[in-house]
Amino acid sequence: MAVYLLKRLLGLVVVLMVMSFIVFCLQSIIPADPARAMAGPSAPEETIQKLREDMGLNDPLLVQYGNFVMRLAEGDLGTSVRTRQPIAADVLRYGPASLELIIAAMLLGSLLAFAFAFLQSIVRRSDGIRVLMLGLGSVPIFLSALLLAYFLWFKLGWFPGNGRLDIRRFSGPTGFFVLDGLLLGRPDISLSALRHLALPALALSVPIAVSVGRSLNSSLIDVMRQPYIRTARGKGLSASGIFLRHGLRNAASAPLAMLGLQVGLLFGNLLIVERVFAWPGLGLYTVQSFATSDLPAVLGVALVFGAFYITVTMLVEIAQSLADPRIAL
Amino acid sequence: MCEEALSIHGLHVRLSRDGRASTVLDGIDLRLTAGEVVALVGESGSGKSTIGLALQGLLPAESLPEINGSIRISGQEVVGAKPAALRQVRRSLIRSVPQDPMGALNPTMTIGRQMQESGIERTEALEWLERVGLPDPQRIAADLPHRLSGGQRQRVLIAMSMAAKPRVLIADEPTTALDVTVQAQILKLLADLAREQDTAILFITHDLAVASQLSDRVMVLFGGRIMELGDTQSVVDAPAHPYAAGLLSARFDLTSDRDRQLATLSAEAGSEKLEGAQCNYAARCPLATSICTQRRPDFAKRGENRLVACFNSDRVPELLSSRRETPAWPHASPGEVDALELFAIRKSFASGKRTRTEVLSGINLKIRLGECVALVGESGSGKSTLLRIAAGLVTPDEGDVSWPGGDLPQVVFQDASAALTPWLTIGEQIRDRLRPLRLPKAEQNARIAEALELVGIDPALSSALPAELSGGQCQRVTVARAVVVPPRLLLCDEPISAMDVSLAAQTLNLLGTLRRQMNMGMLFVTHDLAAARLIADRIAVLDKGNLVEIGEPDQIISAPAHTYTKSLVSAVPRIGASIKGA
Repeated sequence: MAVYLLKRLLGLVVVLMVMSFIVFCLQSIIPADPARAMAGPSAPEETIQKLREDMGLNDPLLVQYGNFVMRLAEGDLGTSVRTRQPIAADVLRYGPASLELIIAAMLLGSLLAFAFAFLQSIVRRSDGIRVLMLGLGSVPIFLSALLLAYFLWFKLGWFPGNGRLDIRRFSGPTGFFVLDGLLLGRPDISLSALRHLALPALALSVPIAVSVGRSLNSSLIDVMRQPYIRTARGKGLSASGIFLRHGLRNAASAPLAMLGLQVGLLFGNLLIVERVFAWPGLGLYTVQSFATSDLPAVLGVALVFGAFYITVTMLVEIAQSLADPRIAL
Repeated sequence: MCEEALSIHGLHVRLSRDGRASTVLDGIDLRLTAGEVVALVGESGSGKSTIGLALQGLLPAESLPEINGSIRISGQEVVGAKPAALRQVRRSLIRSVPQDPMGALNPTMTIGRQMQESGIERTEALEWLERVGLPDPQRIAADLPHRLSGGQRQRVLIAMSMAAKPRVLIADEPTTALDVTVQAQILKLLADLAREQDTAILFITHDLAVASQLSDRVMVLFGGRIMELGDTQSVVDAPAHPYAAGLLSARFDLTSDRDRQLATLSAEAGSEKLEGAQCNYAARCPLATSICTQRRPDFAKRGENRLVACFNSDRVPELLSSRRETPAWPHASPGEVDALELFAIRKSFASGKRTRTEVLSGINLKIRLGECVALVGESGSGKSTLLRIAAGLVTPDEGDVSWPGGDLPQVVFQDASAALTPWLTIGEQIRDRLRPLRLPKAEQNARIAEALELVGIDPALSSALPAELSGGQCQRVTVARAVVVPPRLLLCDEPISAMDVSLAAQTLNLLGTLRRQMNMGMLFVTHDLAAARLIADRIAVLDKGNLVEIGEPDQIISAPAHTYTKSLVSAVPRIGASIKGA
């Protein structure tokens, strides 16, 4: 296990190096001029030249890359043109909101996936549910997010569809508001945070539920036909015992991989969902950075997302090896 | 003492497949007393496995089973029992040992935990692992199934079943998936444990010889009906039903006549299920008379403890004596030309991160045109790898493979239905081999028909898909595909190991005839020494990647030089050689 973690950590560093190189190349190729963007369109040419000199933009590319990596190693992702804050500080500020949303979407998606797969493979196969899942899977997320917002928030008013809390200016020790509410002894905050989470998390969870659910369904159908299930039934075990101990665990590997993939690929959807529900997270931050061609911010966030993706993959592999001890880490 | 462990009365089972229901068991009556071993013998499709599943109430729900009649295990009714009652019956009264131990253990749960699910304590589980002859029970209990061999897994499954001290044990071909040298040990273990615990065993098999080694009584099943039921010894000595007689004469062992073809049961004409007022076996029966197709024969008493369902059982003895004459092999003219030359073949596979295991260490072998060499050996001995190298499918690390004469050999695989493309008609698949010859279409069709006829398949079936054929027919089609353009070398990878006796005999006859007629060299890989002896001119014994012995079949069998060969010879089941012990 320790060797595995070490290997993965090394892999993480390598991937980050490669990503940083790509990000750096992009920065150099794209004709946007950070100095110009920072100084403003009306700044005189000398100011910009001076700024370029200060920012090291006139150094040879290799030196620039070296500096870039050195800064990265110190946790310096650069400075945002738009917020004029270090990007690392911005990530720390907006990250928890996104992470909270992602975790909620993941949990909700897994729950829905399990319910779907359980109904389809164990209880009774129903074409209705299958068509419903297919339909949900084929709705693009910008549409499903808008529909959820329109009906459940605007029309019915069941859930709030704007921001993270009803009150303004709340800040907690962790930035995860559901957790902060509990830590601060304010269950009303937690409840409000949960209510605000509902719609964006639901919108994000649909693709997860559909893909993971289908994967779990097909592996459960396959596993429940295996001879060892018959052995278990032959021992006179109860149906729930057979399903939990012999069925689910053996069926877990493929859907776990799918879950990892979906969570890893969730960022595209995150931009849309955070935009639709005015969720003050990294997705919204990225959207706003795009709008102001804040390249350093966009690329900094890309690096963070890349690192997150690798971490998720690692967690999935650990989960898979826990489910199936034959997979040695 | 004569406590009744199991009583089946008037059992009828109908199962649906693709929306069509058919009768699988038709009036089964059987009583087992405690500690008795009854063998259930029949070909595939006879319904013998269905009985085993019905007893446990484990018939698959998707086949919508309709069960009539009564099954009582230690007095507990199983048919129509509530799920909870049924679970209780399974937990403590009836257990089973499966056919294939490889898939029957949960791959992600330790052996120890799976044992304990049987309702025993950990110490008891360890005791049982030791009792079934597994070394180091502590280690095995902590292991996952994939680290055990097939034989070890079967021992675990036996321990798991017997630990519950059931009244009835169903053993469904518990040794067919195992190495021959392990089979006898497993059977003996089962028999010993059953006697100690007074457990009745229902032993399901297709091989009367195996049945005769283990069982007190035998029940011969065909098409879901009982054909004959009686003391094993008397049934084996003098079968009273033509089907039982056919099963007996179709089996071959180390004493069968090598100069003649094997006796077979008449073809699979009876594979369509017959229901209603007639004898099930009439379509295949050599003794069938007009009454057989009009009335269903009663299950009548013939002699002591003997029940037979046949109108003509008086004529069975004459059938047995007439069966002895089978056609001789066609004349062969093996030349001095080689069909295959293997020189100093070495092959190793990666077995870990850095270690490699040598599978073949320096194999030299030549096969002449028209000659058949049988390659025997345990699983893991490297025989399949050698066949693949001879086929050109795997390249050796060192050494030379050559096929004098040029063209690549053809291969007949073990699993015929997997060796045929499911969405192409069998005619098309045979045509694929003719395409390079650029023959006119009419001639292609003629040659396809000719090849199918050669292997005994109606040429009209050339437009059928593989799924519409039986397993035996599929194997014939793969042979037809291989010989439609006669190859100089035919490689057979365990072509009969998944077949029941009569089908195996038919396939051996077919391959033996074709290789002589077409003067093909043949490499026949098998773990069955009796089959090897019948088909081959020479037997080569492979042990741990080395050719330890090669020579004339009868010489190898009468005077095996290598210890491994000796164990192979003694492992071939013989009629009447009881392993029940004292």
